Amino acid sequence: MKNIQIFIAILFSGTLSSSAQDSSLPAGKKATYKITVEPGIGISPMPIMDMALSNIVQVRLTRRLSAISYTSIRENNLFLRNFNYIKSTNNYTLTQKLGVGSSFYTKRNIHTLSLLAGITYDTYHETLDNPRFERVDMKVESWRPDMGIMYKLTLGGKKYFFSYRMYIPLFPYPVKTADSTGIEGNMANVSFEIGLGIRIK
Amino acid sequence: MDTKTIIIIPLAIILLLVMSCNKRITAPGRVQQFTIQSMHTSAAYDIKVALPENYNGNKKYSAVYVLDGEDNFNFVAYHSKKLSDNYGKENVLVVSIGYGRNRTLDYTPTSVPQGQGGAPAFMDFISNELIPRIESDFAADTSRTGRVILGHSFGGLFGAYAFTKHNNVFGNYLLLSPSLWYDNEIVFQYEQENRQSIRDKNHLVFLGIGQLENSGRMQAPFQAFHLRLNDNYPGIKLRKNTVSQMDHVSSRNPNIINALDFYFQNK
Repeated sequence: MKNIQIFIAILFSGTLSSSAQDSSLPAGKKATYKITVEPGIGISPMPIMDMALSNIVQVRLTRRLSAISYTSIRENNLFLRNFNYIKSTNNYTLTQKLGVGSSFYTKRNIHTLSLLAGITYDTYHETLDNPRFERVDMKVESWRPDMGIMYKLTLGGKKYFFSYRMYIPLFPYPVKTADSTGIEGNMANVSFEIGLGIRIK
Repeated sequence: MDTKTIIIIPLAIILLLVMSCNKRITAPGRVQQFTIQSMHTSAAYDIKVALPENYNGNKKYSAVYVLDGEDNFNFVAYHSKKLSDNYGKENVLVVSIGYGRNRTLDYTPTSVPQGQGGAPAFMDFISNELIPRIESDFAADTSRTGRVILGHSFGGLFGAYAFTKHNNVFGNYLLLSPSLWYDNEIVFQYEQENRQSIRDKNHLVFLGIGQLENSGRMQAPFQAFHLRLNDNYPGIKLRKNTVSQMDHVSSRNPNIINALDFYFQNK
């Protein structure tokens, strides 16, 4: 929890300082394009590596305010599918979120902080297949709300640009743990992505 | 007010509101604290005991022994009071067992890369040092059925280890997201070895997990352990609970509430 608060404070201080720089920039030039599409690839490293393919569509409503759509498919625990005789298959997550973002411009970059909310579908199948014991299967499917904060950095001012984004879920709410080897609540579900963006309109 | 202010202020307010939802809970009533230096583990454990309201030294109270006490004690003590009041039943002594050594040592039964296998010594500490101290210094029920162990994750593994290997110590097991995958499901082997000697005793077992514990190791062993208990223990009061939309960490507190509810219902 404390980590998230520190992160938010840093994020806001960063965006405020970048917006202060922005006042010296000529307005308008970087707001030419109204729609960007940003396919990307990413990871959610904790506690076990998940890999995601995602796409962001950002529609600029004003120079600073955007509507954002985020879609992703995440393959969970990609490198650990057979552990201690427990086999894991069909372990993936689909997400669709919509939200609003606030953008701040520097000379070469655009920082966008957004609040997203939507729905996530999770499914996975586990089989305990230890030859010494009985075989047991377990399949889980779940729909759940998803809400969080996304920070996006856009590098480059031309038609094609580089996009980096970090997402911190706010649901389920963070839970504090004193386990020194554990990750606090939602910090375990942070994801990092990079992508190639295209300004299309 | 410019556009920047219009955007940032509501966003900041929303974030602060969301983050302020984490309510702090403290143990109600009197709490006594002391430290035990264990001969078995050579470590010192900070122990806290939450006493029931109107604690009476002439009564005999059941005791809930809480692993990962630094994390869970206040929450367990708070909800024990609340649920015992709801059911009109006598509250319990809530005993917090602090960290004396690393939990990956104390709560794990064997030495593998994920843990160092100190559970046998830790069990000796609990049964030969902690429980005698609690039962001599407080008005605690000295019977097996008056003792409850509550643990999450490796703590749940330790609870399952206690159930299968040292079943004479506790009569009630509140096991939350237990790490039953540990050492190729070693607890299943213990259960098979000791089933005949413990199957006819009375047990209360709560098994809780989060629906989104999708790390490829939690769900199938959990389901298998539940089936084993259900099929082989005629005297068991057993409940399995899955907290929907929650993962390993976020399901812990909802499962603590469900586990205590199950315990007080059947107390």
